[in-house]
Amino acid sequence: MSGSTETGAGGAADVAVSVRAVDRTYQLAQPVHALRDVSFDLPRGSYTAVMGPSGSGKSTLMNLIGCLDTPTAGRLVVNERDVTRLSERERTRLRGEEIGFVFQTFNLMPRLTALQNVALPMVARDASRSERTERARHLLEQVGLGDRLDHLPNELSGGQRQRVAIARALVNDPTLLLADEPTGNVDTKTGDTIMRLFSELHAAGNTLLVVTHERRIGEHADRILHLLDGRLERIEVVESPRRPAVEAPIDDDPEGN
Amino acid sequence: MDVLESLRMAWRSIGSHRLRSALTLLGVVIGVGAVVTFVVLGASLEEAVVGELTTGQSPAMTVFTQPEGSDGFGGFDGGQVVFTERDVEEIRAIQGVETVVPEGTVSLSGVTYANQTVGLPALTATTPAYFEEVGQQNYSVGGPFERGQAQVVLNDAAASVFAANVSVGDTIQIRRDGGEIVTATVVGVLEPPPDTAFGPSAADLPRVYGPIDPFVEPSIESPTTGDRQRVYSRLTVVAVDYGSVDDVSDRVSAYLETDSDARQLLPGSYETVVQTNEQFVQQIQTVLNRFTGFVTAIALISLLVGAVGIANIMLVSVTERTREIGIMKAVGFQNRDVLQLFLVEAVVLGLFGAMLGLLVGALAGYGVTQWLDLPFVLPLTWGAVAIVVGIVVGVVAGLYPAWSAARIDPIEALRYE
Repeated sequence: MSGSTETGAGGAADVAVSVRAVDRTYQLAQPVHALRDVSFDLPRGSYTAVMGPSGSGKSTLMNLIGCLDTPTAGRLVVNERDVTRLSERERTRLRGEEIGFVFQTFNLMPRLTALQNVALPMVARDASRSERTERARHLLEQVGLGDRLDHLPNELSGGQRQRVAIARALVNDPTLLLADEPTGNVDTKTGDTIMRLFSELHAAGNTLLVVTHERRIGEHADRILHLLDGRLERIEVVESPRRPAVEAPIDDDPEGN
Repeated sequence: MDVLESLRMAWRSIGSHRLRSALTLLGVVIGVGAVVTFVVLGASLEEAVVGELTTGQSPAMTVFTQPEGSDGFGGFDGGQVVFTERDVEEIRAIQGVETVVPEGTVSLSGVTYANQTVGLPALTATTPAYFEEVGQQNYSVGGPFERGQAQVVLNDAAASVFAANVSVGDTIQIRRDGGEIVTATVVGVLEPPPDTAFGPSAADLPRVYGPIDPFVEPSIESPTTGDRQRVYSRLTVVAVDYGSVDDVSDRVSAYLETDSDARQLLPGSYETVVQTNEQFVQQIQTVLNRFTGFVTAIALISLLVGAVGIANIMLVSVTERTREIGIMKAVGFQNRDVLQLFLVEAVVLGLFGAMLGLLVGALAGYGVTQWLDLPFVLPLTWGAVAIVVGIVVGVVAGLYPAWSAARIDPIEALRYE
């Protein structure tokens, strides 16, 4: 990856994401300020939740950190690279190789099997077919879907689809995992399974950012960022995260890289 | 993303929308098929017409006169009688000339056989080579006449014009315009001419052929030598081969325009013409090329319809797969990966359509040529052209949809329902 830029803010190596005075304004009929003057850091290996009512800017924040969008003003550094200075091509590459996405609506490719869906991000970076299949199978086994490899999304339950989506998010071994309402479309019990999976990922050393409007889900994290009308209202430290005991952290990197 | 992977994904996409892909394919198949059918038809028709015209032809050219400004195909009025024996000899000596067959027309008041007189208007006085080089006819009985003998050859129509059929060895009276009667022996009867594509030919009319001597007398003084010579209205110059026809034609023209008796004998308003068969064939080919051009233009319109079909389907496909494109971009696919994916899909459709169209067109062309009883000609280069056209149609038709797919904003696309 070219264009590496030091953050200059704190110990760069310990910070996965640095947000500094970020604005995001949409030029519609009237300018809409989706985010205003937002600043915070996500330490490496941290587990953070973002909460706020509808329209508070949660999704905009996630799109910015996920390099799907760029700030109108301010500075955004992801994995020591200043996103505002990257070309679209470089941002796409950063997104594909270092960031994993989990969406509320799963966003699986309807005509691809579970295995093909999980392997999709590896196609983008030209991994060999055997490498892709091996890695996708391993991850699907890790999320408990070893027996659903050849199923199409419409043959899977909501919880299973979300687990496929999580496996896909992990396939390129990202350092940052972003989840937008990951339990929004599943029942409570399945939601608990998903959150257990996130806890395992956190225990394995991943940096997690989970957007939610459910306090119960938000309390799994170490910190909760409260957004209101596009501003960061406060940062709440969760005294005792509601985390299930993790017996065996998920091994999403069997090679130990 | 490598092209093989794009192909795999495109194939998957085509396969998962079978009806839609089949209809798109059909558009291209009809387009390419129409092109190939029409081209086959054009080529086959050309082959048939040119073949018909050149069957048994020799590399010959006809020398005649016509009023200045006439546009070819002249000489049917017989033209002016200006080519002297000296001209025949001079032309025969020109490099590349195999032989020269002179033709003279002897006016008759009739021909009598077994007390029956038939009013045949003329006798063609020529040499025995005439039947090989000009008439392209074989004898059904008998053989050629001999120079200096009162002998005639009749064509099939002339032999059967009398109540009692004339055959070899019979004697007929040739009544010349001046009242002179020549008693001649029939030495040969020609085979009836084969039917041509244009119906019965002029050779079906009753005709009588005789040797130059005695039927044509020396009648004009050669302006060059001063002695009386026989003169002819028409000469057939046979070149040694087809390759030398053009050169020989030029040399004969040059001779006629400079040193010939014909030039001096010819009235001012007339010109000499050297017409090669090749010129005639080229005239026909020009007409046929226009025909092929015309039908190809119609076929290209069909192809355009096919291309619009592909573009339409690809645009629908892009809209339908907006969310998928968003997912792909979110997980790291570059714009050019998306572009490549849609382009490959369009090219695959175009390619398969072209190959199927080639097959369908060749079969349809074969069917039509069989039906019209024409020789089947499939220009092989058209196979390659059809496939290239398929790819080009795919690229052109897929370019805009692919470009618009690549430009889709992933955030919008992921929100798309």
